[in-house]
Amino acid sequence: MKTHSTTFFVNNKEYTLDIPVHRTLLQVLRDDLSMTDVKYGCGAGECGACTVLVDGDRPILSCLTLAVLMNGRKITTVAGLEKEGELHPVQEAFVEEGAIQCGYCTPGMVLKSVSILEKNPSPTEKDIRRGLEGNICRCTGYEKIVKAVQRASIALAASSPVKQKEGGKV
Amino acid sequence: MSELSIVGKRIPKIDAREKVTGRAVYAADIRMPGMLYGKVVRCWNYAHATVTKLDLSEAAKVPGVIKVLGPQDVTSNTYNSGVLDLMVSDEMRKMLGDIEDQPIFTDHVKHQADGICGIIAETEEAAERAAEKIIVEYEPLPVYLTAEESMKPDAVQFTPLKPGNKAFELPEPAFPGNAYGWGDVDEAMKKADVVVEDAFYVPKQKQCQMEPHAYVALYDDRGRLNCWTSTQMPKLVQTKLARLFELPMSRVKVNQTTVGGGFGARLGMVAEPQACAMAMAVPGKPVMIQYLREEDWVASESRHPGMYWMKMGFKKDGMPVAVDAHFTSYKGGYYTQGSGVAFTTGAWLAGMYKYGALRYRGDSYYTNQVPCGAYRGYGNPQTNFPLEQLIDRACNELGIDPVDWRIKWHKDVGDDGWCIGFKYPSCALTECLERGAQAIGWKEKRAKYSTQTGSKRRGIGVACMNHTSGAMPMLLEHTVVSVRLNEDASAEVILSCSDLGCGAHTALTQIAAETLGFPLEDVHLLTGNSDASGFDIGAHASRTTYVGGGAVKQACEDVKRQLFERASKHLGTPADQLEMKDKRIFIKNDPQQSVDIKTITTLGVINLPDPATGQPVGEPGQILGYASYFPPHNSPPFSACFVELEVDTETGEVKLLECLTAYDIGRAIHPPSVEGQLDGGVHHGLGNVLTEETYYDKKGLCLNSNFTDYKLLGPSDMPKLTNILVEQPDPYGPYGAKSCGEEGIVPPIGAAANAVYNAIGVQIKEAPITPEKILKAIKK
Ligand code: FES
Ligand code: FES
Repeated sequence: MKTHSTTFFVNNKEYTLDIPVHRTLLQVLRDDLSMTDVKYGCGAGECGACTVLVDGDRPILSCLTLAVLMNGRKITTVAGLEKEGELHPVQEAFVEEGAIQCGYCTPGMVLKSVSILEKNPSPTEKDIRRGLEGNICRCTGYEKIVKAVQRASIALAASSPVKQKEGGKV
Repeated sequence: MSELSIVGKRIPKIDAREKVTGRAVYAADIRMPGMLYGKVVRCWNYAHATVTKLDLSEAAKVPGVIKVLGPQDVTSNTYNSGVLDLMVSDEMRKMLGDIEDQPIFTDHVKHQADGICGIIAETEEAAERAAEKIIVEYEPLPVYLTAEESMKPDAVQFTPLKPGNKAFELPEPAFPGNAYGWGDVDEAMKKADVVVEDAFYVPKQKQCQMEPHAYVALYDDRGRLNCWTSTQMPKLVQTKLARLFELPMSRVKVNQTTVGGGFGARLGMVAEPQACAMAMAVPGKPVMIQYLREEDWVASESRHPGMYWMKMGFKKDGMPVAVDAHFTSYKGGYYTQGSGVAFTTGAWLAGMYKYGALRYRGDSYYTNQVPCGAYRGYGNPQTNFPLEQLIDRACNELGIDPVDWRIKWHKDVGDDGWCIGFKYPSCALTECLERGAQAIGWKEKRAKYSTQTGSKRRGIGVACMNHTSGAMPMLLEHTVVSVRLNEDASAEVILSCSDLGCGAHTALTQIAAETLGFPLEDVHLLTGNSDASGFDIGAHASRTTYVGGGAVKQACEDVKRQLFERASKHLGTPADQLEMKDKRIFIKNDPQQSVDIKTITTLGVINLPDPATGQPVGEPGQILGYASYFPPHNSPPFSACFVELEVDTETGEVKLLECLTAYDIGRAIHPPSVEGQLDGGVHHGLGNVLTEETYYDKKGLCLNSNFTDYKLLGPSDMPKLTNILVEQPDPYGPYGAKSCGEEGIVPPIGAAANAVYNAIGVQIKEAPITPEKILKAIKK
């Protein structure tokens, strides 16, 4: 089996692994590194449950990404959003709005929402809905998730510009 | 009732933080030392076949493979993955004819992806490689995809226990004429001024819970079978596994993991039998089975599809004099919930409006599709589609406004509920209809949309539903709760009720805290451990808040009674002259005289004799409240739903604009969860009526077992959602609460179908109402 020595960061921690070339990032994170906050929903790029962020704010589907391609990259999973016991404003908003039911889509949804707000700090409802396409939630009808993103956008804007940057960057 | 301080408050859900941080543990997240991987090898290329040869020897040689199990290597006992048989009397079970026709591995493949053998390996990859080495030969059998095909006299029999492949029909002894209802339908129909009649198709919808099924099982060194599962029904699964493997219940432990959505998909067992059979083959080693999404789709149960014929007769003033109905469902390959849905589909019909006479017949026939089981609404979505459309068709002919008709003819307090003879104790449906119509601008919009031109046509439709809070009196309803007070006066509430993400555990915690008079932080719910908790049915029939809540309330009242007894001794005052506030019990007329709850609970646990006198101080004994609760009723909730949409008559496309649900909740224990249930229900309901259907090719192979080809509504497809919670406390529910778990799914189906009718003037009789069907209907 062909392997590649690969170095990447997950939630600011560095890892160097010998990874078989066919292995997906999802498999490596979940099975090799036991990072079970990244979810398997379909394994085919259809549900968004396995979303992680690359280099801060670019959402990718880890089930479709070969792990060896992550050499030198910074990966953020939902476990990396919390800072010193404080939830990220997007996480806070999900809790406050009751946007979480079974919670299975939540890690992917939260990360996708973070990326939406990174790109556009004050999105319209339509922007949010369009941004969330690709992440499936079967529990909430998306209603409270959309409200949570709106709430997070307000919360982020309310914090000072410097802080906003810190709060938003992951 | 005195002011409520915790019930009804919009607190954050108790499990929100562990979920938003990714720390909640679902079954597939479990990691154990030495854990092995189990794989069920399935028949992917045939939907109906006999296994003529199965050679496991090559697979067993693959490196990393521990064991390969064929049908002969596991118990030959069969099972029924559903649980209805555990909730009825022996007599009733015999009469219903429920059977156990599922083997762990089969040699008669009855649907695509039926499991033929199992592999236990050190890694998933090794199991996959071994699966490719299984040598299997099949003899294909004719494939039946509808009841009409499988009921033919020469059809291959699915089981000798069900001749003619008729899995179920309402049994004669309890349902004369194999029908449910009242009155003489034929006579009553003759007196009708207007008769509407049609045959409808209702779809094979998939639950699509986001967490694919996963299990860990371990047959441990004490000879106990342990299973980690996200089942909705831990205690009943414990019973089922004990029976299947012939173990006493004391040697079976079910650990419920975080449930990544249920919607009925995990009502009873899915692959617990296979996971446990594998674990028993490798004692001392945990075995994990993780379904792939496609596997989940084609190897776990779906909604019952089928043909639903209905005929309704009305007098000129709108009086519904008679309803005649017949639902024939396509059962799929195994019996499972064969009796349940065939009955309830008619029960929801019976519970809805004041028909002069009703005759409902329900039956189901085996077909070569994934078996049908429980899915949110349990027959109610099926009924909503034909019933609500036929009513609107009649209203059109009679010149009666559909909202006015429903206000006049819906059943009400004192009328028979879904189970005849069992009367409605509360009903706020009139208020739901009135407030909903007002809020969405019904009258104005109906008037406006009656004179449209151009290719974009708007429509607005209404529909109603009744449901239930728990399944009594048809099925057993029972929940056991114990509440233990720790010495520091905090409470441990021990029970087996499930939370599928709906917020049930939050609501139950609120009920406990409210009843005890303790702050929320002092109450902990211990769930998910079948060793620790007493009996509970599990999550189905929208029962958890209503029945589980009733049980929690009763157990907490028991605790309170004991506290007051002890306080009464302390204060030398009868208990009825005492009151409690801020965890202190005091004399009503003399509030200075009081005792701290903590003093009582500490003395209950750490009770030592007074060193000076040698006499006991206070009362010894840790306080334990207990309830073995059989609810007195099923307090059905009602709701009215309004859907507004726009049909593009050139493309047939439907754009959803708004969906408003006015809901008779009794009391909302945790309002955000109630709203969440309704919102989520709407997503499933609108999907059912507009986009969701599992398609098969002629060979019975599924064509859309994935999220690309099976169309779920996305965030941008969803309309504006509005909920109106109508709170008129029910006399039986805990704090007046009625259920809301399943119901949100139901009336959006009829309301959206009626909105399409309102927009284009034709009714579509086959769900889902796709653009192709709309275009075809317009052309006609
Ligand atoms: S698991 Fe990656 S998109 Fe579904
Ligand atoms: S909360 Fe269950 S899938 Fe989104």
